[in-house]
Amino acid sequence: MSTEVEAVQQLDFEAVKQIIPQRFPFLMLDRILEVRPGVCAVGLKNLTGNEWFYQGHFPKRAVTPGAMINEAIAQTGIVFFHYSREDDAEHDVTYLLGAIRMRFLKPVWPGDQLRLEIVPIRMMRHSAMLAARAFVQDQVVAKGELLLSAKPNREL
Amino acid sequence: MDQMQCVDDEVRNLVAGILELEPSQIEGEARLVQDLGMDSMMALEIIASVERKYKVKLPEDELANVKTVNSVSEIVKRHVH
Repeated sequence: MSTEVEAVQQLDFEAVKQIIPQRFPFLMLDRILEVRPGVCAVGLKNLTGNEWFYQGHFPKRAVTPGAMINEAIAQTGIVFFHYSREDDAEHDVTYLLGAIRMRFLKPVWPGDQLRLEIVPIRMMRHSAMLAARAFVQDQVVAKGELLLSAKPNREL
Repeated sequence: MDQMQCVDDEVRNLVAGILELEPSQIEGEARLVQDLGMDSMMALEIIASVERKYKVKLPEDELANVKTVNSVSEIVKRHVH
């Protein structure tokens, strides 16, 4: 078995929570389908009609807010960056979103399953620029770039 | 305009865009952090933009010495040709 194959990991919901500090109502990842350090990560979010944000967005026709799709993308990015950082990098950190530029191509409805793909554009020790695409089935519903930084908790 | 001057101007414009300044506000010897208010995320954005524009990969050990706008241009010139 090659090193690359061994490096692929899948994370269930409980394992995701070990990495992502967000909790209800802001945890927007159900599962990581795969994470290959330095190469890619794929996250999964199942959207039910019962999500809290559909109450107000919108009362007469539920549609997923772009801000929540951004959040799901950012959280997948955090998992990717967490696994891709060098072993000797400080890991007692808070991951902060510095910028996100996203185009929303199609509406996302209750019942859709979001698949969130992250690949690196450029990574440094404490920050990462990532490319992201969100899919529903095989259709791209959002795509863009985001910047994440890992801020040591002692500096916050 | 020779190619080197062109790189200087392109880098200045690129840095100005990311730092949300006018290119005319940026002097070559301006320090990116102390004078222009660059933070680590902006630094990464500048590096990624330069690498994308010039199709180069700038070595991380050299980036540690990049302190001014001119030094961004210099590292680009070293690796573009």
